[in-house]
Amino acid sequence: MPENVQDPLNSLSAALVERTRLAQPLVAGIVAPGHQMRSGTLWRKDVVAASEQSFPDAGEAKVTLADGSAFTAHLAGRDPGTNVVAFRLDGTPDIAPTPAEEPHPGALVLAFGAEDGGVAVRLGVIHSVGPSWHSRAGGRIDRRITLDIAVGRREEGGPVLDAGGGLLGISTLGPRGRVLVIPSATVEGVLEPLLSKGRVERGWLGLALQPVLVPEALQSAAGQSRGLMIMRVSKDSPAARAGVHAGDILLAISGASVSSPAMVAQRLGPESVGEQVELRLIRAGKVLSLGATVGPRSSG
Amino acid sequence: MSPLPAIAPTCLRVAVAASDTATRSRLAELVTQSGHQLVEMAALPDAVLTDGAADGASPASAVSLGAADEGFAGLLPPDATAAQVDAALRAVAAGLTVRASIQQSRNFGPLPEEPSSLLTPREIEVLAALGNGLSNKAAARHLGISPHTVKFHVESLFRKLGVASRAEAVAKGLRRQIVEL
Repeated sequence: MPENVQDPLNSLSAALVERTRLAQPLVAGIVAPGHQMRSGTLWRKDVVAASEQSFPDAGEAKVTLADGSAFTAHLAGRDPGTNVVAFRLDGTPDIAPTPAEEPHPGALVLAFGAEDGGVAVRLGVIHSVGPSWHSRAGGRIDRRITLDIAVGRREEGGPVLDAGGGLLGISTLGPRGRVLVIPSATVEGVLEPLLSKGRVERGWLGLALQPVLVPEALQSAAGQSRGLMIMRVSKDSPAARAGVHAGDILLAISGASVSSPAMVAQRLGPESVGEQVELRLIRAGKVLSLGATVGPRSSG
Repeated sequence: MSPLPAIAPTCLRVAVAASDTATRSRLAELVTQSGHQLVEMAALPDAVLTDGAADGASPASAVSLGAADEGFAGLLPPDATAAQVDAALRAVAAGLTVRASIQQSRNFGPLPEEPSSLLTPREIEVLAALGNGLSNKAAARHLGISPHTVKFHVESLFRKLGVASRAEAVAKGLRRQIVEL
């Protein structure tokens, strides 16, 4: 069949093989002592980004690239907030991944992972795209991008490329096995602090919060019907120093009313550490305000 | 219709593979606690309990506590209970794969959405009392309110959580996670 190359399926297949060939230099296999191989993404020269939850305790690891070259890598820092871990290597090739196009639902993507002696590839589409979101660990992720494919534990943390070969981000296993992408912008944003300080600073008050309905009798005094019940106050935390008690209902932080944990997380970005805030609370049927100094959240 | 024949729970012969002696004795104790017989690896066990140290040469399907290696037939969290270990050992011995559901939900994920029906502070307190196994009367004493009021809050909890029993209310209520910030 001389017209073989004109066949759309054959062209698609050839294009995918070519994309994979171009993506291969980005794929890193990471073996931490006593653990199975996991995947990472060679983000730039001598820096590999991977999924934080894949490396519960690694300090040093062996990194293998798809061309067979091997490196000793040191864990430079981890950020559970965005699920990014950074490894520092010595002597990798210089690479400059292409930036991704704006993600759209339905767009084709390729997700890569490390495989002994090569790469593993998955072809899928962007299942959904949403605005920025906050993880349970308090980190802000620039976009909510989910994929329609399954990705194995071993492949998690590998690069996800769009149809143009642009680096969309790294794959992450989310709730119920759903595959999320930590967007390149988010990875970029945390790599600097991870490489220089080993961590990403984030604000912390030391409050365990649960959304609650403000008792009807207090709604007019509170000026809102929803708040956050304080279930626990961590010892020696900024909230404890400010005099917050378990059982108080948090209504607002520095004038901005809060009714969900996400709204509080939003107030506690890296820039908030050291900031003076005013906590508006209901205690024993009365509205009161306490001043607190936002502290740094320890990783975890 | 004749009733289905009951399968009597049999005692399995289980070997232990651990990276150090302390872990080894902890795993051995779990085997005994879960009602099974501890045997040597060479004695052709029905299943293996390991901390992740067992390798491909293991003579039977293994349940691993704490390790995340997908190669094991059974993966349980490091703090798995004896009942979970028992269930997992039986399942892998029968050729099944076992994964703890909690591991999935521990994956990286977003803060919980705001629930559509919020509980009041009092309802949260009553729910906590139910979770501690208190009766309406005991909960009333504990919270300093009348048993009648507790009953009123319990009914409201059932309605808001869409449940029909106290146990269900506790399970569903606890799933509304508390977030630490």
